[in-house]
Amino acid sequence: MVKFWHVVRLVFLERMAYRTNLFLEVFGGILASVIVVVLWVAIFQGAGTDQVGGYSLPEMVTYLLGAGLINSFILTTAEKPEASEAIQGGDLSGILIRPMNPHIFWFARDLGNKGFYLLLGFAGYVAVLVLFQDLLLLPPGPGHLLLSLFSVGVAAVVQFFLFQILGLLSFWMENTYGIRFAARVVMEVVAGAIIPLSFFPRILHDLFLLLPFPLMIYLPMRIYLGKIPLEQVPFELGKGVIWIVFLVLLYRHLWVKGIRQYVSMGD
Amino acid sequence: MGQIRRYLRIVSLLIKTGLMQQMAYRPHFVSMFAGKVIRIALLLLFFQAVFLKVDRIGSWSYDQVLLLFATFHVVDFLMSITFHRNLAFYLPQKVHSGDFDARMLLPVNLLFLSSFERIELIDFASFLPTLGFLGYVLSRLEFSFTGGQLLVYLILLANALLFLFAAVLAIASLSFWTTQSSGLARIFDSLLKVGRYPIEIFEGFWRSVFLYILPLVLIAQLPSEALLGILSPRAVLITGAMTGFLLALALLLWRAGLKQYQSASS
Repeated sequence: MVKFWHVVRLVFLERMAYRTNLFLEVFGGILASVIVVVLWVAIFQGAGTDQVGGYSLPEMVTYLLGAGLINSFILTTAEKPEASEAIQGGDLSGILIRPMNPHIFWFARDLGNKGFYLLLGFAGYVAVLVLFQDLLLLPPGPGHLLLSLFSVGVAAVVQFFLFQILGLLSFWMENTYGIRFAARVVMEVVAGAIIPLSFFPRILHDLFLLLPFPLMIYLPMRIYLGKIPLEQVPFELGKGVIWIVFLVLLYRHLWVKGIRQYVSMGD
Repeated sequence: MGQIRRYLRIVSLLIKTGLMQQMAYRPHFVSMFAGKVIRIALLLLFFQAVFLKVDRIGSWSYDQVLLLFATFHVVDFLMSITFHRNLAFYLPQKVHSGDFDARMLLPVNLLFLSSFERIELIDFASFLPTLGFLGYVLSRLEFSFTGGQLLVYLILLANALLFLFAAVLAIASLSFWTTQSSGLARIFDSLLKVGRYPIEIFEGFWRSVFLYILPLVLIAQLPSEALLGILSPRAVLITGAMTGFLLALALLLWRAGLKQYQSASS
């Protein structure tokens, strides 16, 4: 466990080396979500009604800013394919002989990245939250807040395994960037980062809910806003746990198959 | 004339090498292409989902918003195919690593090489469906447009590209002082998204910013308005003047940056 937290701490130190650039990148993400919020304020003004698609303006603004915050540390870290790079570059050989389980090593690094981006994103979001404070809603109760935070944790684990699995394809493919890019594009919309999924036509909404992506943003924000009754939340989170189990099994299967044919490259 | 022919030959060579590099990993090429087309399709779905609930965004109808959206992405893809990554990301990397030294020795205009060294053919492949989408939107428009309106539209598209080139060049030139500017480039990328929505959604200060200080309105909205026949000739002239001013400023920054460049390689 000590080694685990050392790895997390090292990631923080690595990220701090280029903190200005990183902060500007996170700020760019915040700006993008502010633009979407402004768009929605205009849509509500134009619609001339209190509710659009079952959301009031404060609910929509809270949803979008919350989605933006989760986005800043979940989706951004999807761009750091360490397992994939290790396999392609031959660094996996070094990782395999370290006195630490490689999967736990990658998980610790991912946790460090997510934690760093979360802190950075949150620092940036404080200004935005102040800007839109009149339109922000608190959750209906502490239960909703705690469960939505828990569901963000589930989302982080689902996202980690999903992108690790895509990274493991490097055992068979020379370049997995394209596949990860396509997955990230789908994830951003289907997770509900730019619009609640209930806005989509019924058939698409139901189709999206069959995928793991809505667990990442749509579910935590619906729990936060009280759009899901508290007694139904464990059932929804259970789906997340089932996805994690499935993804872990798939990950393990791919790892066992892939490591057998791994050829160390690089010098 | 001879110089133009020479540079056209260089462009064709850059396209060839770009194709060879990017087709080296075919599944990568195909999945990147699919990802980019899916992204456009999902954003279109986003607008459809919004218009299932409302009739207009500002004073813009569904068809008009689609025109704005398609125009924005045509310009965005043209930028991505050519200079965007070259200037915004690869140039700061080369300045940071010192690889820029080798470029300085080549018998070719440095700004040309820095802007077009890598032609993004994956983006070109994704650009074609977007162009098709623009054609579809134009065929959907409830009203017709004249040849003159189409000509002004095309001129304003070229102007938008020139404006973006100047903006990206100005940001990239800062890397000669900071040795990093990808953060600023990412902020610019986020801000750029403003261009695909009607500017009317902004009020007060921000509206003035996007109209006069960082006139993102000229990327897609002004060309779209020209095609819809609601843009004044005066606005076209002001747009050209703004682009000219920014381009002059960016070139000054670029030249000052080159003088400032200190090789960082070993």
